[in-house]
Amino acid sequence: MLKGHLDLIVLAALAAGPAHGYAIIDAIKRKSGQAFDLPEGTIYPALHRLEQAGLLSSRWTTAESGRKRRVYALTRPGHRALAERRAVWKRFSDAIGGLLEGTAPCKSPA
Amino acid sequence: MQESGMIAAYAELLAGKLDFNPSLSRRVRQEVQDHLWEAAAAGSGNGREAVQRAIANFGDPHVIAAQFATAWLARQTWKVGVTVILVISGVFVAMKARVAWYAAAQWGLSNDVRDVAKLVGLIDACAFWLSVTVGIVGCTYLVVRRVPPTAVCAAHCSRLRYLLFLSAVSAAALSVSVISDGVLTGLRLVGREFSADFLIPVSSMVVEIVCAGSLIFGVRSIVVRMAHTTALLKT
Repeated sequence: MLKGHLDLIVLAALAAGPAHGYAIIDAIKRKSGQAFDLPEGTIYPALHRLEQAGLLSSRWTTAESGRKRRVYALTRPGHRALAERRAVWKRFSDAIGGLLEGTAPCKSPA
Repeated sequence: MQESGMIAAYAELLAGKLDFNPSLSRRVRQEVQDHLWEAAAAGSGNGREAVQRAIANFGDPHVIAAQFATAWLARQTWKVGVTVILVISGVFVAMKARVAWYAAAQWGLSNDVRDVAKLVGLIDACAFWLSVTVGIVGCTYLVVRRVPPTAVCAAHCSRLRYLLFLSAVSAAALSVSVISDGVLTGLRLVGREFSADFLIPVSSMVVEIVCAGSLIFGVRSIVVRMAHTTALLKT
């Protein structure tokens, strides 16, 4: 289930601003209350794929340690894609929430 | 093994599996090293244990490489489609420009070679339109049979394999067409006094050869690199 939403999760983690791979994983773990404990390496193919799709941009920077570091940021289409996916997720979540909590009107059989 | 050696060895193992794309391999090596150093620094325990935990948390390099390979295959599929369209268009423009120039300069064929030229022209036309038709079929297939980027690798593999087959047929037919064009150009040039006018038909032929060559080279290069990725995904 997590795999199917990995792109949305990564986009959401970058909504706060540019970050490198490790910081993105850290943000995902922190914001999800450690619920999404995915193998950390799987984030990089997703970042690469989203960059190829034009939803992210990236550039090399130098970390305080002196190591080269790749920093990713949402592009304009990335922000749009995040807003769209967030809206779809909200509708889906509301619908499922309604079903599970029994808030949806239920017709009694005639 | 020292901590730095463990991190370098892991990064090398993963980067080595990405040799189908050398620039991606270099980039991933540096990113992974940076990630593992930071994860180890943030972890608890002594240096060696922290590095071991960081490597374990990073995941199986084979699985990660396979995920990169899937994204690569998806991208190559579109690249092949676009290359086929550009190459066929390039050859078509060069061919039409040369024919228009022959008409403007009134460069006719001598009666001795007219029958040969007719036959070669027929082969040329058939080969070119076969190339165009197969190219269109390939591009239509690409658009109709869309595969989401997150789809399993097998779906991307079969799609790219089919497209490469069509591209190879298109490239073969295009090569026959370009060779025929070369013969026809030769027939027009033979017996004429060498002059600056030769530049137009010769340069248009060069454009055609470069276009067809780039398609053949591109398809071959992807076939070779695809063999690496499919081997990676099988093991």
